[in-house]
Amino acid sequence: MNPLSSSEPPSRLADLMLNDRGFAFDPNTGESYQLSTTGLACLRGLQQGASVDELVDRITERWEVDPIAARCDVDAFLWDLQQLSWL
Amino acid sequence: MNKEPYTPPSIRRVSQGSANPQRLGRVPVMDSIDGVPVADLIRQHGSPLFVFSESNLRDKIREAREAFESVYPEVQFAWSYKTNYLNAICRLFHQEGSIAEVVSGFEYEKARSNGMPGDKIIFNGPWKDPKSLRRAVEEGAMIQIDNRDEMLALARIADERKADLPVGVRIHVDTGTHAVWSKFGFSVEDGEALRVIRWMRDHTRLKVRGIHCHAGTFLLDANAYVIATEKVIELAVSSEESGAGVIEYLNLGGGFASRARLHGQYLPPEQATPSFDAYAEAICGTIKRRWPSGHKLPKLFLETGRAMVDEAGYLISSVVAVKQRSMDPAASSLAAYGKGAVTPGNVLGAYGKGAVPAAVGTQRNAVVLDAGINILYTSAWYQPTIHPASTPASAAQPTTVYGCLCMNIDVIREEASLPDLKAGDPVVLHPVGAYNLTQSMQFITYRPAVVMIDPDCGVHLIRRREVLEDVQGPEEIPDHLMEKILSTKF
Repeated sequence: MNPLSSSEPPSRLADLMLNDRGFAFDPNTGESYQLSTTGLACLRGLQQGASVDELVDRITERWEVDPIAARCDVDAFLWDLQQLSWL
Repeated sequence: MNKEPYTPPSIRRVSQGSANPQRLGRVPVMDSIDGVPVADLIRQHGSPLFVFSESNLRDKIREAREAFESVYPEVQFAWSYKTNYLNAICRLFHQEGSIAEVVSGFEYEKARSNGMPGDKIIFNGPWKDPKSLRRAVEEGAMIQIDNRDEMLALARIADERKADLPVGVRIHVDTGTHAVWSKFGFSVEDGEALRVIRWMRDHTRLKVRGIHCHAGTFLLDANAYVIATEKVIELAVSSEESGAGVIEYLNLGGGFASRARLHGQYLPPEQATPSFDAYAEAICGTIKRRWPSGHKLPKLFLETGRAMVDEAGYLISSVVAVKQRSMDPAASSLAAYGKGAVTPGNVLGAYGKGAVPAAVGTQRNAVVLDAGINILYTSAWYQPTIHPASTPASAAQPTTVYGCLCMNIDVIREEASLPDLKAGDPVVLHPVGAYNLTQSMQFITYRPAVVMIDPDCGVHLIRRREVLEDVQGPEEIPDHLMEKILSTKF
C-alpha cells in the first residue's frame, strides 16, 4: 500500500456524494455504496487530504481499537478503494 | 472520554433490493438469559457454553399438560430421552409428572438410574438389544413392538415365562402431509399391522394393549395428527373386533414443532408453529369423535420432546475471527489472488478505466465462532437465531456464520442478520435445546459445559466441559506402540 502522496484528494474521491449515514454515490459509475462508520470517517478524511497515519490517528482517537489493528484495517480499506479506482 | 465500539472501515456496494441498509431492522440483543448476564456466564464457565432455562422447561411441560388434560380425561406425557438426556433435564421432566420414553438399552439404563421404575418406561425403537429387552419385560416396561423379529423375540420370552405379556404395536401411517416414516413399525394402509395383531392373537402369549404411532417430526400442520389419530383408532377398533382384546391406550408419539425455523421456512415460527391447544384439539378431539360410543376412552400417551426443550436451550459462543466473503461468482478469478496480490492485467484490465471490479463492495461479512456444527447438529435442518450479546455498533447486515471446525461444511448460518462483530464479541444462538447435545460429537474439540439457570437466577453446572481423558479414556495402546517415539531406525 502506497501512502497517499498528495494532500489533494483524487478526482474520483472528490466527486463522491456522501451522507452522514455512510451512503455513498459514485457519479462516475452510477454505483451506490454503504460505508461503515469508520469507513465513512476514512473517506471523509481522504477527501480532506489526510494521510494514512492521520486516518489511523482519527480512528484510534474515536474508536476502541489499538493502533496496529487500526492500521491493518485502514490499509485494507485503502486497498478496496484502489480497486474501485477511487485512489 | 469513552470511545465508541469499533468496527473496521468497510465499503459494500448497494444492490437492488437492499438500498435501505436498515431493512433488516435492529438486531435483538440478548445480553442476559433468565436474568443472568451472558458476560458473567462466560466468565464463570467459558465459551462456548450451553445454557438451559429451568423456568422455560417447567412452563412448557405445564402448558402442554394443561392443553391436553383440560380436554381429555387421561393423558400421560413421557419424556423423550433421545431429545435431551442430560440427567438434570430428565429429572426435571420426571418431577413434572412425565414418565420416560427410551429407544435403546443405554437410554433404558439412564431412565432407571434417574429413578423411573420399569412400568413407567415406554420402550420404543427399531432395535432393542436382547439383554435390555429381557430386562424390560421383567420390569414391566411398556414395550412397543417395531418389527417381526422383535415380536418373535418377545413371544419366545413370554413362552419361557409362561405368562401373558402386554405389548404395544408401533405402526406407520400416511397422513398425506409429509413422507411416510415407513422405517418404523408396521404398515396400516396395506393391512400388515392388523394381520400381525391377529397372528399374535393366534400364536403367542403377547397381548396387544396399545397402538403407537409417531407420524413424523416437526409437524407444522396439526391436521396430520387428525389423520394419524383416525387411522390409529381404525386399527384399534379392528383389533378389538378381531378378538385380540381391549386396546387400553393410544400413543401418538411426538413430533410437535418448536419455535425453531426450518431452512427455507417462509413464515416466522411465531406464525407457523401450532400451539399445544391446536395439537390437543387435533388428537383429543379426534379420539372423542371417533372412539366407539359406550367404550371407555383409551389412555393417551404423548412423547413430545422437541417442543418441550428446544426453546429452553441456548448456546453462548464467541466470535474468534472476522472475514469478508466474496459473494459475486464473476469475481472468483479476482478473489483467488487475494488482497495485496498482483492481479494479471487481463483480469483487472477487462474492467477498463472507471469500471468497477466485481469483487470490491460485493463482499459479505463473515464471522468464525468458537463453536462448530459438531455441537449444533440440528443446524443442518434449522436456522438458529443468532443474537449479539452486546449493543451492536452498526445496523444488521447479511452475515455468514462459520463454525470453528477445520471443515468447509462447518457453516452454522449461510446468512444471518448481524451487526458488525469483532473477535471476542459474544453471541447467543437460540433455540438449540433439542437434539444438539445428544447428537453432538467431539470432533477435534472438547464439548462445552452445560448450565441450568433456576427460577431464582442460580446457575448450576449440569455437565462440565470435557477434558482429554473424557475423549481418550476408552482407548488402549498396544505394548509395541508404547515406545520408540520418533524413532528413525526401521
